[in-house]
Amino acid sequence: MSGETAITVSATVNGRRQTFTCEARETLADALRRRCQVRGVHLGCEHGVCGACTIRFDGVTARSCLMFAPQADGAEIVTVEGLADGDELHPLQEAFSRHHALQCGFCTPGFLMVAQELLAEGGPLTEEVVREAISGNICRCTGYHNIVEAILAVADARSGEAEK
Amino acid sequence: MTGTRHGHEPGVGGVGAVVRRHSDPALVTGHATFIDDIESGGTLHLAMVRSPFAHAEIKGVDASAALDLPGVHAVLTGAELVRHAKVQPVGWEHIDNQRAAPTYAMAVGKVRYCGQIVAAVAAESRALAEDAAELVEVDYEPLPVVHSIEDALAPDAPRLVPEWPDNVFGSQTYGNGDADAAFADAEVTVSERLTFGRQFGCPLEPRGAVATWERYTNRIELWINSQSPNRVREVVAEVLGVPVSGVRVRVPGIGGGFGSKANYYGEEILCCLLSRLTGRPVKYIEDRQESFVATSHAREQRIDVAVAATRDGVITALRGHIVGVLGGEISSVGMGPVWLSAVSIPGPYRIPNLELSVTGVLTNRTPYGSYRGWGAPKATFAMERIIERLARELGVDSNEIRRRNFVRPEEMPYSNGVFATLDSGRYEHCLDLCVERLRRDGWYRFREEARAAGRKVGIGVAAFVESTGIGPSRVMARLGIAQGGYDEAVVRMDSTGRVTVFTGQTEMGQGMSTTLAQLCADELNIPVDQITVVMGDTDACPYTGYGTGGSRAAAVGGVAVRQATGELKRQILRVASHQLEVDVADLEIADGLVQVRGLPGYGRTLADVAYAAYRRLTDVGEGTTPTLQGRAVFDPVALTYANGCAGVVVEVDPATGGVTVLGYVMVDDCGTMINPQIVDGQLHGGCAQAIGGALLEDLVYDRNGQLLTTTFMDYLLPTAMEVPPFSTVHVETPAPNTPGGMKGVGEAGTVPGPAAIAAAIDDAVDDPAVFVRHLPVSPEQVYRFCNAAG
Ligand code: FES
Ligand code: FES
Repeated sequence: MSGETAITVSATVNGRRQTFTCEARETLADALRRRCQVRGVHLGCEHGVCGACTIRFDGVTARSCLMFAPQADGAEIVTVEGLADGDELHPLQEAFSRHHALQCGFCTPGFLMVAQELLAEGGPLTEEVVREAISGNICRCTGYHNIVEAILAVADARSGEAEK
Repeated sequence: MTGTRHGHEPGVGGVGAVVRRHSDPALVTGHATFIDDIESGGTLHLAMVRSPFAHAEIKGVDASAALDLPGVHAVLTGAELVRHAKVQPVGWEHIDNQRAAPTYAMAVGKVRYCGQIVAAVAAESRALAEDAAELVEVDYEPLPVVHSIEDALAPDAPRLVPEWPDNVFGSQTYGNGDADAAFADAEVTVSERLTFGRQFGCPLEPRGAVATWERYTNRIELWINSQSPNRVREVVAEVLGVPVSGVRVRVPGIGGGFGSKANYYGEEILCCLLSRLTGRPVKYIEDRQESFVATSHAREQRIDVAVAATRDGVITALRGHIVGVLGGEISSVGMGPVWLSAVSIPGPYRIPNLELSVTGVLTNRTPYGSYRGWGAPKATFAMERIIERLARELGVDSNEIRRRNFVRPEEMPYSNGVFATLDSGRYEHCLDLCVERLRRDGWYRFREEARAAGRKVGIGVAAFVESTGIGPSRVMARLGIAQGGYDEAVVRMDSTGRVTVFTGQTEMGQGMSTTLAQLCADELNIPVDQITVVMGDTDACPYTGYGTGGSRAAAVGGVAVRQATGELKRQILRVASHQLEVDVADLEIADGLVQVRGLPGYGRTLADVAYAAYRRLTDVGEGTTPTLQGRAVFDPVALTYANGCAGVVVEVDPATGGVTVLGYVMVDDCGTMINPQIVDGQLHGGCAQAIGGALLEDLVYDRNGQLLTTTFMDYLLPTAMEVPPFSTVHVETPAPNTPGGMKGVGEAGTVPGPAAIAAAIDDAVDDPAVFVRHLPVSPEQVYRFCNAAG
């Protein structure tokens, strides 16, 4: 490791405790991809703008390309791989597919993580609120129209259930 | 890529059905495989040493410090490269006087743009390779920089290729009728100089490649996120001097392409070569900053356009002169996109006298290549702007001018005498639908109310045609393009009755694996979820003359799949006919059976027919060839023309110069729609790119040839805040020369938007002195429009 100190990091990734060794300068995104084998963390810019690398870090979304791997020691991390319940897709994943809210799908993990956080906040969702919430993520394929629809559809289904 | 049973709607899911995409479950769960997920044991990682100068002699490269770093395996320079590699081929050699500017996979002796590769470092990890790249000492002697068109064409300009008399790569004029006479006799003439900024496809996933050159078999296995695996295979073979059969190109999931991944590049050659030199798999993943200097640029042009017309607004002649700002090296498409802009300016209009010219100049910028829409967005910008200008001159509504000049359906096929033969379409109908939808969505009323309240809201409309389904091999040959325009497809039924489609097309997010399966399902009348589409492997998949681009995957590749399926179907019926002792003509496939027409349920299951064809040959009669497989090659007889109209509503803020897109109507005639949901998705994405191109995206160079916009903070891609909801309208005029009627929809969204947005800004500012002449239009420019008129 080019003479650098190797650092041991222990974190919970999608519910499983993982311990790995990394370089001090390694980004969390790289460590998750290469050492924890969660390949749904995508790298679109590595400078914190596109949101493709978004994960949930101790309960809040974070851009894993802007964090160092050693910062994850003791952390609770959820990536897109942690959303589905076995073979059962998360309602957002299901809605993204049904509404054609993904084309190449490279940005999708980031959008799903952000949308999941938005839904968890539980407030009423309008188109404006959704657009604002996802404005930190870039999608080059879809033009966002169907992403917004998919998120609103899940929100609507939830509020429908709540009223029952 | 295998079909899964996730979530298909019941029924066959053939042409016209909304079928959920096969690829979605893996993508939404993070389990899809992209290029950076490909890595076998022992892989070395490549980092590039890229030139900090736009134009310089390379006096020497000292890699000793880099090579001393433990874990560094090799450093390749241009001097070494030429011992192993030939020049990169240029696919498009279609301009009569086109010059040759030999380009290698990396700089040899001289750099001609910032970011050009000077050395490639292979090391145990990417981080280590980057460390080592910083230790490579390059001795540059800077040369004067050619920054702009004016610089390039100045009589005493420094020359990028010293052997040339100037910096002109090629130049050609095309004509029909007598434009000079028509202009001389004209009742009205208007002219404008327009410019379009430099932009690029910018897929969210950068380019990447992983190469393994097997020493003992002398075979290269190359994984690459390319839209043209067949072409990459041939190029690798040609450049590295190995047989085509010795190269296997494989394509994983692609994180967006937009044409930029249809070009071929030096990086994949370097991966192959370094694999041979090190004996290890070698991987390169472009980082975002590199992508701005290393992935093909596009769009930048200067356009002089003029029309002659009668006082009634009938256009009698058009002149268009385009200069394309090429880069310091020639990309794999030469000056193809610039040429297409020039010959496409007449668009959907009947203009008897044409004079169109194109010139490509070299500048010290990143090479100019493909980006979704190719020539069409600039051609449409030119034509629709000059129509707006003419409308102002005559004091009539620009839509009236459009109506008076549209080629009408009964005039088709209509040749404009230069390049296009408009095959089908109802252009005026599309315009009507666009205006109608804008009205239905309330935008005209909204504009009046907003204006009454002192707000600056405007509506702009632009009509377009776009050559799609590229391309008939005859047209390609006539243009001097060293590629075919056909597609081959193979469709097999296995011994259990399941069907696999093999295609040379690639999936880059546009849903091609699903739509090809739908065409096959439609032909066989079996559920789409019983069909698997295999693509992205040159050892397993058929050949395509051109790859995936030019809105051709459905209109050419799809037809080949349909025809191969037809052949498969004939074989299935033949076997069943023997089994049932019924004439082939009396059989049909329905409900999983080959059954006798009019006797539903009387027949054999497809599984049984398939089993017989493979494993119970006694059932199929003498002389019947075992197995079930159809193969077809489809070469279209002519290009087809997708067409339509965009209507955009904007609000301009005079205090900040900000432009907000409020509404966006896109009317599109892509011929027969295979999957309407996917068609909408293609339009949405293209329209968002049109917004980016009109308002945000700009690759800005300083006078020294340094690119100033190399992050997403500087090169602004549209986010959900800049993009409105879209209102799409579909017209389906089947393409007369395409069996099945598809025209193609991959690029259409990008085409009319820039022109429509320019018109909408004019309308919003509503000042006779204001006319948008340059895109992307900056807030500063709009502020000046609003505050000082100009
Ligand atoms: S890769 Fe982290 S924000 Fe783009
Ligand atoms: S689906 Fe391709 S970037 Fe969003």
